Amino acid sequence: MVERSIMPGFGLTMGFTVFYLSVIVLIPLSAVFIKSAGMGFEAFAEVALSKRALYAYRLSFGAAAIAATINAVFGLIVAWVLVRYEFPGKRLVNALVDLPFALPTAVAGIALTALYAPNGWIGSLLAPYGIKVAFQPLGVVVALTFIGLPFVVRTVEPVLADLGPEVEEAAASLGAGRWQTFARVIWPAILPALATGFALAFARAVGEYGSVIFIAGNMPYKSEIAPLLIVMQLEQYNVPGATAIAVTMLLASFAMLFAINLLQGWSRRRMAA
Amino acid sequence: MTVSAHNIVKHFGAFTALNDVSLEAQPGEFLALLGPSGSGKTTLLRIMAGLEFPDSGSIRFDGVDVSTRPTRERAVGFVFQHYALFRHMTVAENVGFGLTVKPRNERPTPARISARVDELLSLVQLGHLGDRYPSQLSGGQRQRVALARALAVNPNILLLDEPFGALDAKVRKDLRRWLREVHQTMKLTSVFVTHDQEEALDLADRVVVMNHGVIEQIDTPDAVYNRPASAFVCDFLGNANKLDCTIANGAVEIGGHRIENTAPPASDGLGVAFIRPHEFDVAAAGQPGVPVTLRRLTRTGPMAALDCLTETGALIEMTTIEPPTGLLPGAALTLVPRRVRAYSA
Repeated sequence: MVERSIMPGFGLTMGFTVFYLSVIVLIPLSAVFIKSAGMGFEAFAEVALSKRALYAYRLSFGAAAIAATINAVFGLIVAWVLVRYEFPGKRLVNALVDLPFALPTAVAGIALTALYAPNGWIGSLLAPYGIKVAFQPLGVVVALTFIGLPFVVRTVEPVLADLGPEVEEAAASLGAGRWQTFARVIWPAILPALATGFALAFARAVGEYGSVIFIAGNMPYKSEIAPLLIVMQLEQYNVPGATAIAVTMLLASFAMLFAINLLQGWSRRRMAA
Repeated sequence: MTVSAHNIVKHFGAFTALNDVSLEAQPGEFLALLGPSGSGKTTLLRIMAGLEFPDSGSIRFDGVDVSTRPTRERAVGFVFQHYALFRHMTVAENVGFGLTVKPRNERPTPARISARVDELLSLVQLGHLGDRYPSQLSGGQRQRVALARALAVNPNILLLDEPFGALDAKVRKDLRRWLREVHQTMKLTSVFVTHDQEEALDLADRVVVMNHGVIEQIDTPDAVYNRPASAFVCDFLGNANKLDCTIANGAVEIGGHRIENTAPPASDGLGVAFIRPHEFDVAAAGQPGVPVTLRRLTRTGPMAALDCLTETGALIEMTTIEPPTGLLPGAALTLVPRRVRAYSA
């Protein structure tokens, strides 16, 4: 028996949703698996687990983790300032936060490279101290930090706004000091959102290509990221090789998404209001 | 503990929230700050709590100036309109919070904290809900948790900011009765803010009526209702018909008709007269009083409500138990006020 519902159009919209997700997400992803499955494990491992690829994974995931950590700290501060204070130019700052979303990543890459190159504005200041940023793994971290910022700010911001100053006032009236208020009241409340923001920034950074290739220098075994390896395989018309690396990264991304969903479910259960 | 405010002035930008406000709450007294929104009542409460600081003036606890002390050193229990519970903590953790943040040398042992929490939870009748999260409770239960949390640290005073404002009418009434009982057993000096006159008159030992950042009257519920000190208090508390009048030779005239048996406290000249709906008698047309035309008569239970128009077109709402029989809209009547409160305009 068909259940009667007051919401019309379930069949149509559900059909569209399934079709759309299949065309946009599911089929391309399965194609990657199918392509790589055809090459056999030996050949797969040779490309996907080569020494060069392993270095690239390490840089991609390592730099992404460092960048996401930096963003978690400073993104939290930015979100705090945007939520808690009124100041002239607040709307401008608010818009600036979204810029890494909107800016073509190649533009960001070129701008950052120009700034951090040994003869650039910031690079020339750091060069006397022997700190090199551009064309080094450090440059990768800088680029990934840039593109990951909005994820942390935009996930933490609504939670902070929802938290309101009242709970802080309540904590103070109960005798809690500033540090106790932060550690016992604010931190546990925003931690799930911060973790989600961290995971999103991390996932975005792992797959980032455009902004990184300019600043990275792309030296094998040193400053070469995994997405670049895929592009290089493609340029040599080695499609199975490219998909082998792609599958490896895809699995890692799935693991990330799964972790994010677990986190969100956990925070929703605890914070449901 | 005696809590007093002395000449408090507070501005928010160009807006004057409090203009030279002074009051004193006696030990164990239950004081209500009553007023419309924007009257400064919440600001005054927050200044007492140390959540805001006055531009000038002082707050004293038992005569000791605490004006510069931050909230956490004032030992005040503060209850917020929207509870402000810590959502990631269980009910028991919320109630015990104030004890667990005490400096290490003053902090009770976990066993004593847990005993105190149990004691408070049974006081607020939530003994069985200690391990729930606030999101699993109803509004009334949340506010009782907030109260238990505020009481856990043995505060000097209890401050409540519209404690029932977010609750529905039924729960509000139950909680009000219950709060009065809690106050009677604790004997804690308490100040609460409300814009609900019924709540203030029902709960408080004394009511502080505020308007535009000044105190209009501080008195017992009976006195503010029956002997309002100003036109504002009279208008704000209870329904009253507001009529233009003239005051001449110590008597009130409404529409040229002299009202007998009134003793207006105001000086001669133009004034406003307030007459409550139940303070009229109905008489036949032509009798001394205010001549009116009946517009509408409705019966609600034992009472009849009459809407009448005066000769000048002003509306008078009055209630009576026994209206003259056979009244139809359009009938000419005379309303005889038994009691008039007149103030100079």
